[in-house]
Amino acid sequence: MKYFSFLLVLGVTIALAVLVSIPIGQIPPIAPLLDPNHGFWQNSISEDELAAEELTLENLTAPVEVVYDQNLIPHIFAESEADLYRAQGYVTAQHRLWQMEFQTMAAAGRVSEIVGPIALDLDRMTRRKGLAFGAELGMKFLQENDPETLALVEAYADGVNQYIAQLSDARLPVEYKILNYRPEPWSAFKSLLLLKYMSDMLVGDRDLEFTNLRKILGEAKLDRLYPEFPSENDPVIEAAHVWDFEPLPVLKPDSMAYPDEELLISPLSQPEEGTGSNNWAVAGKKTKNGNPILANDPHLSLNLPSLWYAMQLSTPSNTVKGATLPGALGVISGFNQDIAWGVTNATRDTRDWYKITFQDESRKAYQYGTTWKPAERRIEEIKIKGQEAFIDTVIYTHYGPIVYDRSFRAERQDINFALKWTVHMGSNEQKTFLLMNKAKNHNDYNRALDHYTAPAQNFVFACKSGDIAMRIQGKFPLKWPGQGKFLMDGADPKMEWQGYIPNEQNASTLNPERGFVSSANQHPTDSTYPYYVFDNSYEHYRNRRLNRKLGEMEQITVEDMMGLQFDDYNLQAAEALPILIRLLGTYKADSPEAEKYLQELKSWDFFADPNQKGQTLYSIWSSETFESIWRELLESKAAVVRPSSYQTVELMAKSEQDSIFEVKSVDGVEAADYHVRLGFDSMLVVMEKWEAEQGDYSWANYKKTTIQHLVPTFKSFSVVNVYTGGGSGILNATGSRHGASWRMVVELGSQVQAFGVYPGGQSGNPGSKFYENFIPVWANGGYLDFGFRMKGDVDNVLFKTTLK
Amino acid sequence: MRFIFLTILVALLVVFLNSVGPFWMVMIGIAFLSALISPNGFGGFMGGGLGMGLAWLGQCIYLGINTSSPLPDRMGELMGMGSGMTLIAITGVVGFLLGGFSGWTGILFRKMFQKTPENVYRG
Repeated sequence: MKYFSFLLVLGVTIALAVLVSIPIGQIPPIAPLLDPNHGFWQNSISEDELAAEELTLENLTAPVEVVYDQNLIPHIFAESEADLYRAQGYVTAQHRLWQMEFQTMAAAGRVSEIVGPIALDLDRMTRRKGLAFGAELGMKFLQENDPETLALVEAYADGVNQYIAQLSDARLPVEYKILNYRPEPWSAFKSLLLLKYMSDMLVGDRDLEFTNLRKILGEAKLDRLYPEFPSENDPVIEAAHVWDFEPLPVLKPDSMAYPDEELLISPLSQPEEGTGSNNWAVAGKKTKNGNPILANDPHLSLNLPSLWYAMQLSTPSNTVKGATLPGALGVISGFNQDIAWGVTNATRDTRDWYKITFQDESRKAYQYGTTWKPAERRIEEIKIKGQEAFIDTVIYTHYGPIVYDRSFRAERQDINFALKWTVHMGSNEQKTFLLMNKAKNHNDYNRALDHYTAPAQNFVFACKSGDIAMRIQGKFPLKWPGQGKFLMDGADPKMEWQGYIPNEQNASTLNPERGFVSSANQHPTDSTYPYYVFDNSYEHYRNRRLNRKLGEMEQITVEDMMGLQFDDYNLQAAEALPILIRLLGTYKADSPEAEKYLQELKSWDFFADPNQKGQTLYSIWSSETFESIWRELLESKAAVVRPSSYQTVELMAKSEQDSIFEVKSVDGVEAADYHVRLGFDSMLVVMEKWEAEQGDYSWANYKKTTIQHLVPTFKSFSVVNVYTGGGSGILNATGSRHGASWRMVVELGSQVQAFGVYPGGQSGNPGSKFYENFIPVWANGGYLDFGFRMKGDVDNVLFKTTLK
Repeated sequence: MRFIFLTILVALLVVFLNSVGPFWMVMIGIAFLSALISPNGFGGFMGGGLGMGLAWLGQCIYLGINTSSPLPDRMGELMGMGSGMTLIAITGVVGFLLGGFSGWTGILFRKMFQKTPENVYRG
């Protein structure tokens, strides 16, 4: 009996211990998670409470000192570059390990390993786009051409790995505990992959949509609705810039046939609208102190942990500070003792699609001119949590991978398309940032940029010596006008890119007469630039607002530049609202509700400040109106993209009787006013519902800016309903999910003055007091002091750690 | 008396051993302690359970007060359990169950080797 009772209770105890140690469905093992000594409770402790005076970091040539200021911004003082980047890897991993790894898992198409089959389709897409393939080529490029950079990238990886190796259960980031996995070793490859991930986030194309539009609308109407330059073009490089080079010839084939069936495949995901950025620099002659001032605010998805991590990186010969990308070396947008630089996305179509004709079902060869070229195969094994791995075979042509084929998203059409993208070409973006971090003048800046391929960026520059500059850098294919706007026939060798624009012929400007340089994702140049620069997503509003303001301003101070980054003026509304009101006429004049809204709109000053109601009403009315105008076009079964809001407003203003306003399904509808009224009615419906359910419709309450954790289902790790203004097409581009992911203003006087902020915090740990502490500052248009720190400075030190 | 002694020792064991070892190591430790101290069966269960449960509860509360971190509430919401208070309670209950069964197992283990006294009434 006593043996039996012992065995019974022992059995129950063991069963209990096992039950709390294994995952049940999506629920992680409960005891390791709840154990106060190792589980999530330990993540309640903030970094300053865990401060250590000394930590072991092997392979250093000399001890490295890390000083954290009161915002947990590390200032790393190392004796050599290799030590510096080893320490950067270690320190970044301390605060952002989970994020670094998760982002590169996403870039490698390995999310299914963490979250299970729900991510399989996403992973297949990522792999078929060839991001990892591109990073492999980047590794090969470094091994063959730049062992010095590779050694530094490996030192960084070693730093990350030494952190992972000593990581205790207690200190493991909480996301690993919840999702029940552990970090794997970091590698140089992963750092390269991260930069490919940025390309994927920032580069789009609309080849498929334009192919369909060409079929539906015909060439003439397409050109009218989607002109390659807007009527009021205000490009990045000032209009009337003189191009002092002999352009390379680009031969347009005499005859060509585009694949022109209506294509019912679903397009690649695109960078979301609202993704963009501003940067500018003003020359000393326009500033109060006579020093150049540079500003940069990249707009991206608003996420936690933040994409950016602030750092100062010092060696005896150089000190640089600014925003780093966890996983990449050096500072990406920042300043050193001599220069400052910043980036905005230089949208341009560098992603083209070729229709591939295979010889037979085996898909071993494809047609190219009069011959058959052999195709290669890449086997992608996608591991899935809790399931057998999925094997995907991706066929590679000399253009690039076949993304769509019979096994993936082909919907009933047996179609093969190969993707040609500059991301698949061996390149060395990391070198650009390593060199830029220690650049001293305009020549160094240009030399750094020569290594940069993708994603193409507008690099703004300012130097203590007084120079300001802008260069649009990327690897841009030479294209004849129209090339790559539509899907092309891969069997026709005449459709190939004919080479690349030489770096020295990329559009750039140095010290222009107007006293400033600026970019806001608009057209790179005016139409005199001798190369074809098509893209569908160029900005038409932020750029004009920015250039007007910079043109008017004199005696500029750092505070003025901060004000401009936080400028809420809605230029689109200023241009479109009077037209909407005119076309509305006396419609619904007898309704008190309509009258109330109309009065609010008429008295609105066009600033999208958080307390403004006019902005809410305008955003609903305009979007419902534009929606109505293009409804019949968008109802096509094939994927299309609608004309830009700028073009739509212009058509309404200049030709309200245009045939494009006809609605075929409704008799007698021939003009824009119909859509304006319909939009107004829709607005009344939306507002009635909103007022009944939510009440307040001031702008911040309506747009509900949310800074979302990288795992969207971890809602309680997100920060919702941030009270702040701005929106898409506005300099303060903060919409509901996108906005200024980093703001920086630098004045390059004898003492560099710098300010920066981002919507997040230095810690990636949702339990830390440094996780979201910058958000209120950011939301109010405030900044943190980003001035340099010297090694011995004692003010505002949170703690110091020596790595040795 | 032995039950109180066991409770205290188990709590100390959790504080020291659990900070370096996983929870199952603590469970084995509790079984040994309770076999050693040997209260009755119920005392073993309650001693192990209260010792570990209260220690875990205390550690959570200590961390909560000391850090005033929003994490317990965030985790509570994430796990669909409302607030961090619920999680503190659940942690205590899980600790109690793990400690309790370990303690009971220890007692029964010892009993296996004890001779059952015969003819107790004869003296």
